[in-house]
Amino acid sequence: MGREVSESCLDILLIEIVSSYTNGFFAGRPELVAQAVEAVGYQVGNQLCERYTMERPQFSDHLEAIKFICTDFWTNIFKKQIDTLRTDHKGTFVLRDNRFRWLSRASHPDSSATIPSALRNFAESRKMHLYFPCGIIRGALSNLAIPCAVTADGSALPSCSFTIIIRRDEVSNRRDGL
Amino acid sequence: MSVCVAVVGHQNNPLYIQSFTDADDALKLHHIVHCSLDVIDERVNNPKKSGPLLNETFLGLLYPADNYKVYGYLTNTKVKFILVTTDLDVRDASVRNFFRRFHSAYVDAVSNPFHVPGKKITSKTFAGRVSSIVNSFGSSTATE
Repeated sequence: MGREVSESCLDILLIEIVSSYTNGFFAGRPELVAQAVEAVGYQVGNQLCERYTMERPQFSDHLEAIKFICTDFWTNIFKKQIDTLRTDHKGTFVLRDNRFRWLSRASHPDSSATIPSALRNFAESRKMHLYFPCGIIRGALSNLAIPCAVTADGSALPSCSFTIIIRRDEVSNRRDGL
Repeated sequence: MSVCVAVVGHQNNPLYIQSFTDADDALKLHHIVHCSLDVIDERVNNPKKSGPLLNETFLGLLYPADNYKVYGYLTNTKVKFILVTTDLDVRDASVRNFFRRFHSAYVDAVSNPFHVPGKKITSKTFAGRVSSIVNSFGSSTATE
């Protein structure tokens, strides 16, 4: 499967998805934009997961599935693995990518004027762009029967961390089942 | 030889079912597919019995029967593939090969952005690929 994707096209597409939702369909309603962008990511993650797990043995637990996201899945999308993975063993995982590719070209607030409103705008738009990768992770995991919530923190560019919280009821169900 | 293939979603909802048969036994094949769902559930939920098979996607022969064979395959995303064949001397290797090709056809079908996850697969391309995979499966077992 030697298909290639133009990285700049993907960057531009992502920017355009976010901007057309923000300025067009849901202008002035950031919560709906977030939902819509996340939903697009969700479907992408769902379908990618189907493909990338093809040649793999079954996952025995959550940690193994998360590890798969950190290594193989991330490598397939970003050509690198997640740099650090931390967990509290209670269903929360923090994945940190020290050089997150999709934000590598985002403008850095330090380099521009320190006007508060400009800073806020940078943070806002960065947050919008991160809903897409969040959706990808959530889509992939939910396709592996792990319902979860994913949030991202991109405040320390160029690194970016994703927090995955696996839903409680699912965790307890699993334990009861065993 | 009659063959029936089925794709069943993770909530045991049918995603695709197709029989390739000359005789009038399509309904019977569907019935067999239905029955085998319980066997797959049992295998997955009772790992002790199936032991080393647990981590593998290919579930092997699901249960013995007189005039047909039922094979199962479970993807990582909990989608089941079921193959019913009336050919009694098929080799495991050719079934594995069949499922591998079937799986990649399935992945291509669900990667279609117009496919709604969890809904039936209506793609004609998928149907075409499945029938060519079934044909080559039939001819490979016939020559062995």
